[in-house]
Amino acid sequence: MAWRASPFRNSCAMPVKRIFLFLTGFLVTVQDFTVMVGRSFRYLFVHFRLRESLLEMDRLGVGSIPIVFLANLFAGLDMALQFSVVMAPYGASNLLGRVVATSIIRDMGPVLASLVMSARVTAGITSELGMMATTQQIEALLVMGVDPVDRLIAPKILAGMVMLPVLSVVGDLLGVLAGLMVAEFGAHVPGPLYWSGVRSALTLPNLVNGMLKPFVFGFILVAVGCFYGLRTTGGAQGVGRATTKAVVYAAIWILVANFLISKFLIDVWGWKL
Amino acid sequence: MIRLEKVTVAYGEQIVLDAIDLEIPTGKTMVILGESGSGKTTILKCVLGTLHPVSGRVLANNQDIGKLDEEGLLRFRQRMGMVFQEGALFDSLTVGENVAFWLWEHTALPDDKVEERVRTLLRFVGLEASIDQKPSDLSGGMRRRVAIARAMAAEDPAFMLYDEPTTGLDPFTSKSICDLMRRVQREFKSTNIVVTHDLTDAYRVGDLFTFIKDAKVIATGTRQEIEHSADPFIQTFLSLDS
Ligand SMILES: Nc1ncnc2c1ncn2[C@@H]1O[C@H](COP(=O)(O)OP(=O)(O)OP(=O)(O)O)[C@@H](O)[C@H]1O
Ligand SMILES: [Mg+2]
Repeated sequence: MAWRASPFRNSCAMPVKRIFLFLTGFLVTVQDFTVMVGRSFRYLFVHFRLRESLLEMDRLGVGSIPIVFLANLFAGLDMALQFSVVMAPYGASNLLGRVVATSIIRDMGPVLASLVMSARVTAGITSELGMMATTQQIEALLVMGVDPVDRLIAPKILAGMVMLPVLSVVGDLLGVLAGLMVAEFGAHVPGPLYWSGVRSALTLPNLVNGMLKPFVFGFILVAVGCFYGLRTTGGAQGVGRATTKAVVYAAIWILVANFLISKFLIDVWGWKL
Repeated sequence: MIRLEKVTVAYGEQIVLDAIDLEIPTGKTMVILGESGSGKTTILKCVLGTLHPVSGRVLANNQDIGKLDEEGLLRFRQRMGMVFQEGALFDSLTVGENVAFWLWEHTALPDDKVEERVRTLLRFVGLEASIDQKPSDLSGGMRRRVAIARAMAAEDPAFMLYDEPTTGLDPFTSKSICDLMRRVQREFKSTNIVVTHDLTDAYRVGDLFTFIKDAKVIATGTRQEIEHSADPFIQTFLSLDS
């Protein structure tokens, strides 16, 4: 039965040809993505849409508060617990607040918030835009003389870049407070000691780190979702495929960007905390 | 006036339109007939400029659509109305908001003026009562009528394109949609392209008729010219329907 999809249909092709096709495909994707992003930023300046932007901020940010808070709460609890176990034998418990706060502000807070958000926001955006693409609503926009990048994407990207830092900062605070509970009741570190450690972690490099990362991650998780949503083809199955792809790529790029920003900021400020 | 000159479209290896020539004079309605999958929707996409032909030109009022850049296309389409095969209403917006969309995007009308116009348009298609409903709560025929109202919202649309506006509807609704299309044409003096399978509806709305088969135009002309065509495919098509 020749018309039946063979599970081996992809693996027979020549490996060299496949690598070549993969590379050219990758380059074209990067180019398309850059064009989309460039157009959205241009629209943010030449044709700013206050109404749509506020709506998107509400949808994207306010709705995500509970999950971001929960994620940070338990991450803070767990991290304080683990660090206190590791540090107690060295008599370093007095550093607990500083270590917990630093790791939350620098890494855990922004990364966790973004990963949790990408499950919610990226998936939501891709399936919504994917549905619109497969039911010709995107074409209908074009036909009415409206650029979908202007109307749909630019406000979403702006919302991501504004809301993620806000959510992330509040989430950081919650994580640090959760750590305080563990310190006080589990690790026998007095509250004021923990708290002074936390305050000593609020340095300029840490704060810049804690704001820059969610800003970039917010951009990534929305832009990737929009990108794969807009180019969805192939009906309901296509929407599912695009959504999976977008969530996976958003998560990977967030982690890649996390490392690169960490590296960059350490290079800028040296090994200071 | 819309003119296609030697337009060829291919998806990969498959040639969907093969050097098609077509002309629709200003203010006339051209009906495109043909089997399913013969490339009728593809012609509309070329006219909209959402699909670029491999070769050939598409002219609208002597403007070559292929020469327009992205922004020029968006501006060109503002005077165009299109009713999609499946309606393509924005399902996150209500019926009223769908119809208001064009006005919100391209005019600075105050809200009460927009609402007034939206109500007029919805009354025109007999759906004023559904103004606050979501498209998903409507029947297929109602959705199609909202799509027509939305397409008319462009201030005096110069071109109206309909992709199978009556397919799958009962005869009464079909007739009312055809009457509606006639009224739109009379009101706006627009140049129209209607794609359909249905001969009865074609005769109701059309001034000119074109048959597409195997990626080519096999006949084009007025009803009389078509009916006197010697082509066996057309004769079969006409006889099957009556
Ligand atoms: N995106 C696409 N990719 C590949 N092939 C396509 C695509 N869109 C259409 N086709 C092919 O082009 C041909 C013409 O399609 P088109 O949609 O224009 O047909 P149609 O005449 O409108 O049919 P129907 O009456 O069923 O709507 C079909 O054979 C279809 O397989
Ligand atoms: Mg079609």
